[in-house]
Amino acid sequence: MPSVPGLSIGIAGLRTAMVTRDPDVADVVRDRYQGFLSSGPADWRIEISPLPGSVPFSKDVVVRRDGGPARFSVRRYDFAGIVDLGERTADVALTSPDDVSINSFLRILYSLALVETRGLVVHAASLVRDGGAYLFCGPSGSGKTTVARLSTDATLLSDELSIVRIAGERAVCFGTPFRGELALAGEDRAAPLVGIYFLHHGGRHAVEALGPKEALARLLPNVLFFAREADVTAAVFHIAANLVEAVPCFDLSFRPDPGFWEVIRNV
Amino acid sequence: MSEAYLTQSPRTAWRVYDGEAAVLCPDDSTLNSLNAVGTLIWESADGKTAVSAIVARICEEFDVDPERAERDTMAFIAKLRERGLLTVSETIQQAP
Repeated sequence: MPSVPGLSIGIAGLRTAMVTRDPDVADVVRDRYQGFLSSGPADWRIEISPLPGSVPFSKDVVVRRDGGPARFSVRRYDFAGIVDLGERTADVALTSPDDVSINSFLRILYSLALVETRGLVVHAASLVRDGGAYLFCGPSGSGKTTVARLSTDATLLSDELSIVRIAGERAVCFGTPFRGELALAGEDRAAPLVGIYFLHHGGRHAVEALGPKEALARLLPNVLFFAREADVTAAVFHIAANLVEAVPCFDLSFRPDPGFWEVIRNV
Repeated sequence: MSEAYLTQSPRTAWRVYDGEAAVLCPDDSTLNSLNAVGTLIWESADGKTAVSAIVARICEEFDVDPERAERDTMAFIAKLRERGLLTVSETIQQAP
């Protein structure tokens, strides 16, 4: 069966050719990444194939260096793949061609691929307002989707997983198709990051500035990254450190109404 | 007592903010936040500086008596060793 032609997606400036012979996979990609379909030469190439039989892999994602300094195996109960950062290729076999598996693998792939471009995938909602991007960081239940839902006059970049890249002395936030409870993909656009807000629910809206050390300690647990090798972990650490040094960081306590924008504006 | 020398694990990544270090241990992604004295010890863990010299610097810079400085320094070193952040040797270590 020939490959489905011309299937590419672009996220955060990285264009990826999705190569598959499975029309179901192609349908999932076209549907799930509708706002991020792209044309032109690809930076990356992912080959997706079916994985016959059962998979003895763990429930959790396991990413390990495998067969070379730039090669990583990526495994979970529903997929097994190899990501080659040097060749900029990935091969992944899926137990079933569903959007959860494809989406999970793509998140991991981008978390690895972005390191080279000084980028991070962060558990955060991100919104553009008045030309600037705001990152609202936090674990599940901290209010990412609520903040996104309350910000009707802002452009949604993501309500779940955002991408930030360091460019020179500044940071840029990108829209992603990685959606959370809002079930809406972000817009495929980028904006300079003007603030990072570590979210938690509270009885009132309050913003408190954080120093870079405290901000780094709060950012790192929210960075999506699975590899444990010291060199790549150090690279992620330094990107995160550069990020909190480049962008003002705050603790944001909020209650579920749009008034938090007012306290942000008054900082 | 024989002399001892500290060496930072090459597996760590770290930055110093306002005189206080944040040290990442890649094995468990834990970020270790050090105070000013801990940061002095950490930055001196170059494989060449003797622990006795580090203790002397702490006494000088933080106005601590030598006995307490040595006791606290040894306890701190034991913690960092336990977390795999540094090694202790009886000889000077060459840079890798």
